[in-house]
Amino acid sequence: MDIVVCIKWVPNTTTVNIDQKTGTLIRSGVPSVINPHDMHALEMALALRDKFGGSVTAITMAPPSARLGLEHAVGMGCDKAVLVTDMAYAGADTLATSYTLAKAISRLKFDLILVGQETVDSSTAHIGAQLASWLHIPYLYYVVDAKYLGDGKMWVKRMLEDAYEEYELALPALLAAAMHLTKPRRVKLSHKMRCKEEGVIEVWNNKTLGLEVNCVGLKGSPTIVKKTSFVAEVPRKKIVCQPRDIDQAAEWLISRLVEDGFLKI
Amino acid sequence: MSICSEWDRINPEEYVGVWAYLEVEDGSLSEAGLQMLGVARLLASQKDTYVGAVLIGRGVSSLAREAIYYGADRVYVADDERFEKYYPTLYGEALAYLAKEYKPEALLVAGTMRGREFTPYVANILKTGITADCTSFEVDSAAKDILGVRPTFGAYLIAHIRTLNRRPAIFTARPNVFPTPQKDLAREGEIIPTNPKVVDAVGVKLLGRSRFGRGAAPIEKAKILVSGGKGLGGKEGFTILEEFAKVIGGEVSGSRKAVDAGWITHDRQVGQTGKAVRADLYFAVGISGAVQHLFGIREVRCVVAINKDPDAPIFDNCDYGLVGDYTEIVPALIKAVKKIKASPQLITNFVNLNINVVNLIKGN
Ligand SMILES: Cc1cc2nc3c(=O)[nH]c(=O)nc-3n(C[C@H](O)[C@H](O)[C@H](O)COP(=O)(O)OP(=O)(O)OC[C@H]3O[C@@H](n4cnc5c(N)ncnc54)[C@H](O)[C@@H]3O)c2cc1C
Repeated sequence: MDIVVCIKWVPNTTTVNIDQKTGTLIRSGVPSVINPHDMHALEMALALRDKFGGSVTAITMAPPSARLGLEHAVGMGCDKAVLVTDMAYAGADTLATSYTLAKAISRLKFDLILVGQETVDSSTAHIGAQLASWLHIPYLYYVVDAKYLGDGKMWVKRMLEDAYEEYELALPALLAAAMHLTKPRRVKLSHKMRCKEEGVIEVWNNKTLGLEVNCVGLKGSPTIVKKTSFVAEVPRKKIVCQPRDIDQAAEWLISRLVEDGFLKI
Repeated sequence: MSICSEWDRINPEEYVGVWAYLEVEDGSLSEAGLQMLGVARLLASQKDTYVGAVLIGRGVSSLAREAIYYGADRVYVADDERFEKYYPTLYGEALAYLAKEYKPEALLVAGTMRGREFTPYVANILKTGITADCTSFEVDSAAKDILGVRPTFGAYLIAHIRTLNRRPAIFTARPNVFPTPQKDLAREGEIIPTNPKVVDAVGVKLLGRSRFGRGAAPIEKAKILVSGGKGLGGKEGFTILEEFAKVIGGEVSGSRKAVDAGWITHDRQVGQTGKAVRADLYFAVGISGAVQHLFGIREVRCVVAINKDPDAPIFDNCDYGLVGDYTEIVPALIKAVKKIKASPQLITNFVNLNINVVNLIKGN
């Protein structure tokens, strides 16, 4: 089974801080990582390959610095990686991004495409469905388990709010891996050394893909960010106490809540 | 303007009306879908246009009237055995077909797990813009465009997003971020049977479904929530919270770190990637108050924080806060509730204790 995994190299939003004095976002010095959700997609792809044979190719559309992410993916055991990068692709929304990725993926041999459920920076969860649409293949989100059944078919288990569902899928297909899977494997030095070999990490630009400029980047994006702002704080009473006597403080608090009408006793 | 040759040409002027897709859950309209209908109503009145509702499924015609009571002017019904089972590509095709046919200017879909799965497919068929997880909307005064406002960059920033020249503009919003509208039996509207032409779902077959009982009541319905975080230090911490929740008639929920640690299930996670809750009263116990968590409690009427760190951000985002170790405070709260239950007249004394027993570090 030949698998393509889409990954995104994202600022590690768990380490972002707000400058308390100015109230602005401290972006500089925020390290990038492979989107944590994509790590689960990578793990699922590698586990499927290890069990059923085939290959895994990691792909990303990003500025050149995302090469580091692909090196990490190769280090985890991906056979190949593709960096899709061109100034023409800048400013793309999810429609234009999925278009470009779909065109790039079409150049690869694949039976299965895996994506992470969403990204931790923009969290839209759009790309999987949009790729499936461009490529005219079936897809499912929230996948927690998958097996190759042979004969171009897969068994897939996914989790919704209140139910597990099992499906049979005919390949080629796309799956979005859920977050709560097994732990993604670590990078192995012997694998990572392969990044230096020729052809392991390929770089494709718009000369390679030859896409119409109206379909990519900002021009191919129906949405634009008109402005950004900060999260407005919800007005709250902010009555905060350091109790001297815990029992009395508790009695005071419960009584206040009853008086305010939030608690009925 | 030159557009991508893979997009149909459209005339945005022809697109009018604000639509909400109504998800059907166990034979009735889902609350999340009705919330979208409520938003559609507000936007439509600002734009002076009609509200459309879409129903797709088998046997869903009987729900059309219900949709009108909740705010729809026109209900587009695709009731067909082909739609007996939900598949993202199938429902995506059907909704895209209706949007092409009837040309609404905006389409709202609840960001349930299915909604998040099939709506981007709809947007892609129509080659239009989609804005996920909106927390509010704006109608631009000049262009009259509807903008979706959503958290981004890990919820540290808010982006105001506009869909240019493509219609319908598509938006999703998480369940419970918006209120459920009131039912009005006097409302009237039009029911429009439709017959979307779709390609059957090829290559995907549902083999089976197994529900996992939610056990406790869902947190989004609870009036009182006792929520635990990493600060509980272990699964046992939730035992005390459950006891407290029981004496005050509440439910238990948690932060993402509590979920990741396996102390509580994901369906009880509060926050941007969990659930938004609309409780009257919310206890945040051992929860630091990260922005993503705060996103889930914006609509809570009263937030009480219990945390041993006086500098925890939750104390800037609560109504009442007690600084201290939860293993001492929560049992004291349980005791206090029992004491007051036994003699409710004590309340007057206790309320007035105020400054005498506590060392006020913030507020007044
Ligand atoms: C894209 C993205 C989405 C996210 N979505 C969510 C989400 O939906 N929901 C969510 O909750 N988080 C979410 N997070 C994670 C969020 O950033 C925080 O990491 C998380 O909310 C922290 O959980 P916590 O408050 O339980 O833990 P911590 O931040 O570790 O806080 C624990 C608190 O417990 C206190 N404490 C310790 N011991 C005690 C004690 N004995 N008594 C009293 N207090 C004690 C500490 O002082 C501390 O304040 C998201 C993050 C990202 C990047």
